[in-house]
Amino acid sequence: MKLVLGYLYPSVMSQYGDRGNVLTLVQRCASRGIDVEIDSLEVGDRVNPDRVDLLLMGGGADSHQRLVCEDLQNVKGDAIRRAVAEGAAAFAVCAGYQLWGDVYKTANGDELPGLGVFDAHTTHRAAQTGTRLDTIAKAGSVRTVGNLIVQWGPHVLVGFENHGGRTYLHGGSSPLGTVVLGGGNNSEDGQEGCVVGNAIGTYMHGPAFPKNPLLADHLIKAALSKRYGTVDLAPLDDSEEQAAHDRALRQATARPRRWRSWLGDGVG
Amino acid sequence: MSSRTARQLAAAATRAAAVSAGKSVRYLSRALGRGGGTTLPGRVANWLDPELLTTFAQNLTCGCALVTGTNGKTTTTRIMAEAARAAGLQVITNPEGSNLLSGIATALLVNGNAQGKLDVPPSTIGVFEVDEGLLGPAIEALCPRLVVITNLFRDQLDRYFEVDFVAGLWQRGLRRLPSGAAVVLNADDPAVCYLGDDLLATVIYFGLDDRHWGKAGLEHAADSRRCPRCDQDLLYELSFYAHLGHYACKECGWRRPDPRFAACNVTLDGAAGSKSQLRTPAGERLLELPLAGLYNAYNALAAAAGASCLGIGLDLFQAAARKTTGAFGRLEAVRIGDKQAILLLVKNPSGFTEALRLVMSASPRARLVFGLNDNEPDGRDVSWIWDVDFEQCRERTSYLAASGTRANDLALRLKYAGLLGSGGQLIAHADGKPDGAQQMPMLIEEDMARAFFTAIDQAPAGQTVYVLSSYTAMWALRRDLVRRGHLAPFWRQASAAPRAREVPGAGAGRQADEERSAVR
Repeated sequence: MKLVLGYLYPSVMSQYGDRGNVLTLVQRCASRGIDVEIDSLEVGDRVNPDRVDLLLMGGGADSHQRLVCEDLQNVKGDAIRRAVAEGAAAFAVCAGYQLWGDVYKTANGDELPGLGVFDAHTTHRAAQTGTRLDTIAKAGSVRTVGNLIVQWGPHVLVGFENHGGRTYLHGGSSPLGTVVLGGGNNSEDGQEGCVVGNAIGTYMHGPAFPKNPLLADHLIKAALSKRYGTVDLAPLDDSEEQAAHDRALRQATARPRRWRSWLGDGVG
Repeated sequence: MSSRTARQLAAAATRAAAVSAGKSVRYLSRALGRGGGTTLPGRVANWLDPELLTTFAQNLTCGCALVTGTNGKTTTTRIMAEAARAAGLQVITNPEGSNLLSGIATALLVNGNAQGKLDVPPSTIGVFEVDEGLLGPAIEALCPRLVVITNLFRDQLDRYFEVDFVAGLWQRGLRRLPSGAAVVLNADDPAVCYLGDDLLATVIYFGLDDRHWGKAGLEHAADSRRCPRCDQDLLYELSFYAHLGHYACKECGWRRPDPRFAACNVTLDGAAGSKSQLRTPAGERLLELPLAGLYNAYNALAAAAGASCLGIGLDLFQAAARKTTGAFGRLEAVRIGDKQAILLLVKNPSGFTEALRLVMSASPRARLVFGLNDNEPDGRDVSWIWDVDFEQCRERTSYLAASGTRANDLALRLKYAGLLGSGGQLIAHADGKPDGAQQMPMLIEEDMARAFFTAIDQAPAGQTVYVLSSYTAMWALRRDLVRRGHLAPFWRQASAAPRAREVPGAGAGRQADEERSAVR
């Protein structure tokens, strides 16, 4: 079997270890004898909707968002929409998630058009509160940052979120899951992520796949279904994955610790 | 008494109170064995007298220099301080890790007298490293004559979020510098280089001019690939590591300037150090650096440019660089019985990748202990380990341990890097038997000291264990090593002066020196 992975903007939209998602997919496929071909799709590169089975897009710096937005609108948008409509799987994280919605209102109030794959809109927290980014010394006041724990059906997903945008799903959209700990879509309605067909949008970094192998396998299956129908994936030894998942869960839900050496030595 | 005099008297009294309060805290901290008291005294004194820092800085007869950047600021600061000492200056510097304003205040406070004035000889200079997020406030408080910026990498995304945000903070800070000041910038780092545009201060660039170490294209740990001026792709003719290299914008023509301070003909000698030809406006010198790795060659280059701005001659710099020793967790060597350990602090993808490259070049079958905590100083987000090139260690290790609060995350990363076989067994190669591939378990032990001593116990005599760890995990390990008498407390080493390592009792200082010479 073969799986074609369309890796969107590896150089500008892979800032938070999202490359780990690619490594995980490749290895979990390889362990099952599935060949993975990776199409690196940078700014300017076209997407072949008949070829890609799975699209991955990660997060990046705010400053790259406009550039990527233009490229999505002018070069890749139609092909991505068609691929998703025809059953390709997709995993869009953070900035990827935001730009696959209807519209993204940036920190200074500009509206960037989205792909419209997810029926949702995103507004940067700074735009909501009228804060000018260049007046703050630490970006923390306008961002949601921390461990993110999400109930996904019967499973618990663990990861990390770090985003300024707040995403609101519209009427017909389904969330990926409910927030157990963290902010999720908007820190208001307890929802996290969005699912349309085989496409998932989420704020979950971490990266998401290594510690949530069920999620990775879910997407591999969804991607293969386009070419091969329902596929059973052979189980793998996931003891390290499970251990890391469980430990991260305990770490996130434990009482927050403040590290300090007594009397403030070491790190000021 | 006029009200003005009364106010001055009151201010002087506050200052004196602040100084003595700060000093008392420092004395107590050390007497209680709670650490070196390298930040809290300053915090207390600053709280009592917010103007203290500025007043003290004005007392520095030779002014002060600030060093910031993601990686290398501690080492660069140390080399510059050493060079200033070699030039006969009295140097006040802040010890490793105490790079917030409170740490700088503490360093000054120690030399303050009861009148709230610095009690120092006429030729005194401050050389301080500053946290990336605080360059602006530090420039405002200290009015430095020189600012050195080493590089800008992705680091602690949960704290600083994006490199662009940090670059913006720096730009605002540097624009406050007057025309008499100097700024030393890395020409090979586009985001840092671009900071030199539109400054009142004099800008001096440093960079590597050695094609031998350049690769075509960029590696995945690269953070800055786009033109800071027009946001188009930068073309890299050469890249040295991460996004450091020779670049030009194909769109607007903005390009790497020719650096006035350049290193050529760099030869790396494993863990022992490097040699390079230092090219400066004042001539060329052979730079022999006892600190390993290309990244330390960069640090020395930054320090060379900085020292030159402070008026320190090339020969004095050359001699000082030759004597540089590793700072906290930067290639610190520790002898434990008939084995030894080398500690490398790692904080971000580019630094970690370079540290691994160094270890792999120094040891064909390395014994590795990794430490990863997710406390605030480490960064609570550990996702960055997925951008570290662990793949280069495949089949080149003979012992692996994962430690720290996120030991399991590390173990998982190592598994996906192809360092583990089925059942979590390390695919290792028996020492001295290149073909004797064998399976052995990777140690997963959250307690850093326990992981470390297990690794030491299992190492054959004469072998070296390399420890690569995030900040607080390294801190915990070091504390244990100090308690057991293997290392001197870091605040005793922090001033970078060789004499500071002469720790009384147990001959720990001499021992530390011997350990270092053993690495070379």
